[in-house]
Amino acid sequence: MAKLLDKQRYKCALGAMQTVQAITRAIPVLHSGPGCAQKLSDSIGSSGYFSPNIFPCTSINEKDVVFGGAKKLETTISNALKVIDADLYVVLTGCIPEIVGDDTAEVVSHFEDAEKPVIYASTAGFKGNNYKGHEQIIDAIIDQYLENSKEKEKGLVNIWADVPYQDLFWLGNIRELEKLLAELGLTPNTIFGYQRGIKNIDRIPKAELNLLVSPWVSVGNMKKMEKKLGIPYLHYPILPIGAFETSKFLRAVGEFAGIPSENVEKVITEHEKYYYYLIERYADMFLETRVMAKQFSVVADAQYSLGITKFLVNDLGLVPAKQFITDDTPKQFQEQIRAEFEKLNYGLKAEVEFETDSYKIHNEMESHDYHGYPLILGSYYEKEFTEKLFGHYLNISWPVQDKVVLDDFYVGYTGGIRLIEDIYSVAVQRWN
Amino acid sequence: MSEIRQIAIYGKGGIGKSTTTQNLTAGLCEHGKKVMVVGCDPKADSTRLLLGGLAQKTVLDTIRDEGEDIELDRIMREGYGGTRCVESGGPEPGVGCAGRGIITSINMLENLGAYTDDLDYVFYDVLGDVVCGGFAMPIREGKAKEIYIVASGEMMALYAANNIAKGIRRYAKTGGVRLGGIICNSRNVDREHDLLRAFSKELGTQLLYFVPRDNIVQRAEIHKKTVIEYKPDSNQAQEYRNLAKAVIHNTKLDIPTPMTQERLEEILLEFGLMDSADDYHI
Repeated sequence: MAKLLDKQRYKCALGAMQTVQAITRAIPVLHSGPGCAQKLSDSIGSSGYFSPNIFPCTSINEKDVVFGGAKKLETTISNALKVIDADLYVVLTGCIPEIVGDDTAEVVSHFEDAEKPVIYASTAGFKGNNYKGHEQIIDAIIDQYLENSKEKEKGLVNIWADVPYQDLFWLGNIRELEKLLAELGLTPNTIFGYQRGIKNIDRIPKAELNLLVSPWVSVGNMKKMEKKLGIPYLHYPILPIGAFETSKFLRAVGEFAGIPSENVEKVITEHEKYYYYLIERYADMFLETRVMAKQFSVVADAQYSLGITKFLVNDLGLVPAKQFITDDTPKQFQEQIRAEFEKLNYGLKAEVEFETDSYKIHNEMESHDYHGYPLILGSYYEKEFTEKLFGHYLNISWPVQDKVVLDDFYVGYTGGIRLIEDIYSVAVQRWN
Repeated sequence: MSEIRQIAIYGKGGIGKSTTTQNLTAGLCEHGKKVMVVGCDPKADSTRLLLGGLAQKTVLDTIRDEGEDIELDRIMREGYGGTRCVESGGPEPGVGCAGRGIITSINMLENLGAYTDDLDYVFYDVLGDVVCGGFAMPIREGKAKEIYIVASGEMMALYAANNIAKGIRRYAKTGGVRLGGIICNSRNVDREHDLLRAFSKELGTQLLYFVPRDNIVQRAEIHKKTVIEYKPDSNQAQEYRNLAKAVIHNTKLDIPTPMTQERLEEILLEFGLMDSADDYHI
């Protein structure tokens, strides 16, 4: 029986052209039909360097299917090198050339001696979604560009977290994580966003540690770097939001990086003081409004579903209803993610479902008794649905139509405060 | 004017599909039939005997060199007895998608109006195994409704024939395609006739014709001719005329019933050996 998937919350692997786009002065070169890129380029926020609507593309047609698209790819890459001033050219293949069997690796190898690096990633849609595609891009950088470095920079840590553009807070988050690590006395290195780019990619092998903040995306990349570049990694599966989780996170990073605990505690104390100062000032409002949303559900990828659930329970004392993870999490990671939802404060446990189908998700939420107006944090698909339940709604995951995010973020102490502001703005608007 | 009988010929690679199709075509010409042969194999050797050599530029080569705005006579040549010959062709070995090439070129033939009302038969001579959807193009809706599988008594030929029958059964359910029978191109193996008859019966079809082995076929091929053209009064020429007659008169069209590998092996054991197992002497 054919299965119908209603409103999934990801794109195909070729959507990882956004990952390339997030590396300043890197350019995707698409080996695909012309429609693929057009359909995938709808996310808000371009690189500021090169519009996703004019990426070089082979725009292959029937003739290229029959005879192979290798020649067209070769000329497209060579012309991209001539007319676009970029630091890194990443060839991404779509479904058609992958099915036909174009030897992209062979074509790209002709550009080994080009002035700028040209690498390729196999991002056929049938290989998976754009979370997987993101991993393919990072893998391509590791496999085809990076080389082992004997020289290490003391305290240098590469940070990996969200999938750019798929996560609307990616830029703010990564900057905030950088800040937190710097406060611990470490030197953060990231490759995405403003004033980052090829120089940061070049610096990756010199790092002493890799830090991955994500339940599952990029775990494979970390293993690859450990093997090829000899960089040990800390896989921290929870996006730390708010004081409780961020302090825990800093302690874990401090321990892994060998930072004296008194230094770590000093940083934590400073942050917590200010954090709880703010919470205390608004304590009355929290008490008054919590009766309006006794239970909450998060509908998002594993990163946000887990991060926000931990925050709402541990920091705000809200009660979790069922939580939904929509990123098509690979089976081998599901159990350990589920276990994290059972480690909540006050002896609470949250039930979690890995589900990509919005119809099923909405049916489940509709049949649940939230004991009042629910708080739903999800994608734009949840907006109308939450209105039906008279609930409170906040758009925190893709697709995003209800929120403009330039560099806002939810990670860390400050991120927790931002999320509180957003949630309670929704609540007070409703009641005032 | 009766409808064009569109016939696809399938069978294991090297079994003699092209040879059989072209000799059969020559036989049909002698019966005054108007025939078009469409080679659906990237090797483009399906019309060599009718044209007296590989004198044909393929549809796909033409599209590649000249674009899609071409005239029919650029891709269709007249061969022995007024037959129309087309080679679909394909990409260079190892690149591109030959299956999609078949689809492209058959669409092209249709668009250019190659299927004229004066045709009695169209033959599609299709590459060995039906490796992907493209090679099933000739039996999809609106094209060949009638299929013959060329086989011999060799194990792998029967295995391939059974596999092809699975594909035919699939398309039989949706389109109107039917199996007309097995044509045996003899390899002189043990009890070949009995074996092929039993195999055909199990497959829910008939052994349409048994073409005996004769070296004259090889000699005719070297001379780039069909046997009927090369030696019209030979026994083998008569065999091909008989095959043509069998095709003309055949009305038995079935949905095949492919068998399991185990059953195929059983039939081989039962019919494929001489009475005495140790009669093989060098």
